[in-house]
Amino acid sequence: MLTRRQFTTTMGGAIAAGLLAPGAVRAQGAPIKLGSIFSYTGPAAFLGDRMKRSVELFVEEANKKGGLNGRRIELTLYDAGSESTKAVLAAKRLIEQDGVEAIVGDGNRSDIGLALVPSVQRAEVPLMSVSGATALVEPVKERAWVFKSTVNDVEVVARLLDFFKKRGIKDVAMLNDTGAFGVSARDQLKAQAPAAGVSVIYEEFGPGDNDLTTQLTRIRSSNAKAIVCWTVTPAGVVFLKNAQQLGLKQMLVHGFGFVADRYMQLAGDAAEGLMLTSLKFPVAEQLPDRDPIKATILDYKARYRARHGEETDVYGGQAWDGIGMVAQAITRANSSERGKIRAGLEEHVREYKGVGGVFTFTPQRHWGLAKSDVVMIEWRQGKFRLVDL
Amino acid sequence: MTTASLLQFLFSGLMVGAIYALVALGLNVVFNATGAVNFAQGEFSMLGGMLGAALLSAAGLPLVVVFVVTVAAVTAVGVLMERLVIRPVRHADVFNLIIVTIGASILIKGGVMVSLGKNAAGLPAFTGERPFRILGATFVPQALWILGVAAAIVLALHLFFDRTLLGRAMRAVATDREAARLVGIDVRRVVMLSFALSAAVGAIGGLIVTPVTLTIYDAGTMLGLKGFAAAVTGGLGNTFGGIAGGLVLGLLETFGGGLIGSEFKDVAAFLLLLLLLFLRPRGLFARGQSERV
Repeated sequence: MLTRRQFTTTMGGAIAAGLLAPGAVRAQGAPIKLGSIFSYTGPAAFLGDRMKRSVELFVEEANKKGGLNGRRIELTLYDAGSESTKAVLAAKRLIEQDGVEAIVGDGNRSDIGLALVPSVQRAEVPLMSVSGATALVEPVKERAWVFKSTVNDVEVVARLLDFFKKRGIKDVAMLNDTGAFGVSARDQLKAQAPAAGVSVIYEEFGPGDNDLTTQLTRIRSSNAKAIVCWTVTPAGVVFLKNAQQLGLKQMLVHGFGFVADRYMQLAGDAAEGLMLTSLKFPVAEQLPDRDPIKATILDYKARYRARHGEETDVYGGQAWDGIGMVAQAITRANSSERGKIRAGLEEHVREYKGVGGVFTFTPQRHWGLAKSDVVMIEWRQGKFRLVDL
Repeated sequence: MTTASLLQFLFSGLMVGAIYALVALGLNVVFNATGAVNFAQGEFSMLGGMLGAALLSAAGLPLVVVFVVTVAAVTAVGVLMERLVIRPVRHADVFNLIIVTIGASILIKGGVMVSLGKNAAGLPAFTGERPFRILGATFVPQALWILGVAAAIVLALHLFFDRTLLGRAMRAVATDREAARLVGIDVRRVVMLSFALSAAVGAIGGLIVTPVTLTIYDAGTMLGLKGFAAAVTGGLGNTFGGIAGGLVLGLLETFGGGLIGSEFKDVAAFLLLLLLLFLRPRGLFARGQSERV
């Protein structure tokens, strides 16, 4: 398979070189074909928009600088429309029809990403996921071709439990949505909480729910000292408003899928004092100057602002890191062959300073970030503030 | 369970139920005139909320003006929908009509996504957010607005369908279109009016609910389905049935979720609904003579 691919690519390139302007082609080399699948329509679109624009920005800038090792990047983008079936079809087209060497972006939702795993495993095409669920890259034996440019919820939950320990909180309520993102975090908490000495009661809600007072009333009658909500949907705003309505005094915590100014503004003063688990991105300006990724974040933000005339966010940054690491693997391995990109990611992404954190991939570990890349932040007086580094 | 908790489930159930009821009421209006279920009904509510929020933030108009303009605009959308997609297929059977409404709902959803964006939107509460507290249970002032407006709409619709000539004409059209035409009822006008009316009801519902629930361009689908369940529970076409069905569904959800656990919330609600429909296939308030084939 691979040899035939190589053969056609080289022959195709040679023929093209012979027929068309030979000088230009020789200087450029055959383009590197990359594909992207994001959801820029549907419920996950508020994440996917900036992810798509970030990947486009990266490719634009790289090509302006002459591409990777002198070869242009040719990017093919598909919209997953927040649906797994559409994403799987897009992956099929990218792999079979467009012949891409790697895919950056997994439809930007955990359940969609999980649906893509069998396709890329079978076709042996590297996939850079941008979603949270741990099952995307674990067990690594069955996920040899999947990498992730964001943090695993294993790490986020571990970080959260550390924080509770610091604050002496031993009783917690978990209120997750029934999507893959929420359920995965709940499973992580179920696995880790006993060892951390934290007892948890579990409640859940549908992503389209209008009212969470029922769940919060059940939680109120428990002795939970903190309530953790895990969702990326607007129901997370309803959670905050309902907690305020019921006059709950517990500490309120949101997961790392809710770090968005817009949601905070919609919740109004109900969001005041909310704690969130997050990557460092939203509080980049407040990081100490010696922080390894402060400069990287500020640089990416400025470039995005200059190109698109709007602010980016932490999720756009995940896609930026994703394509950045694939590009690094291609450059260092000096090959865009699928297998070489895969190996390149495992060998050549060491202490990579991304905007999400410092990435290191190994053959055993396909999520690059660690617990130390997760911080606790607080929404206070219209701004995210760093609470616990 | 403490009294405070049970009372909280009651308050929450009534509010959530009224939200479903508002959709069910709109569904019933179109059903009464065409015999078809309009699956774009939830979109009217979403459109009301989204448009209201956009007008408020863009133009900075007073809430009352926003309210009036939004209801007028959504009503116009309802009329347009009837003229452009329903009328051309008016001779098709009810099933085709239903499929056409699903198509229209996708169109409205897509249109809102492109024009008003993909972000969630909210509206300020009409009369503040300071919650009322009764025996340890709480509800926000907006919940009273939702229940009150739902009740007012029920009353208005009831009077309209039972007491006015036009309302009776609408019901006649649903029962037997040909016979209605023979006695001189302008069937096309009646159908168009029903869409205008249901769109207006939907828009009002969306506007009063959005301060509590927020809205987003794809919120209409789920709302439409829950409203449909409420309408079926109460008996399709029955105005009082619509609100009763909504409240029953809302209370089943909160008490099911509250007493058994939130992972069983929807299971409990729909299991009881199924049971109810086995026992009373034509809904809680089915009337013998209003049988439709």
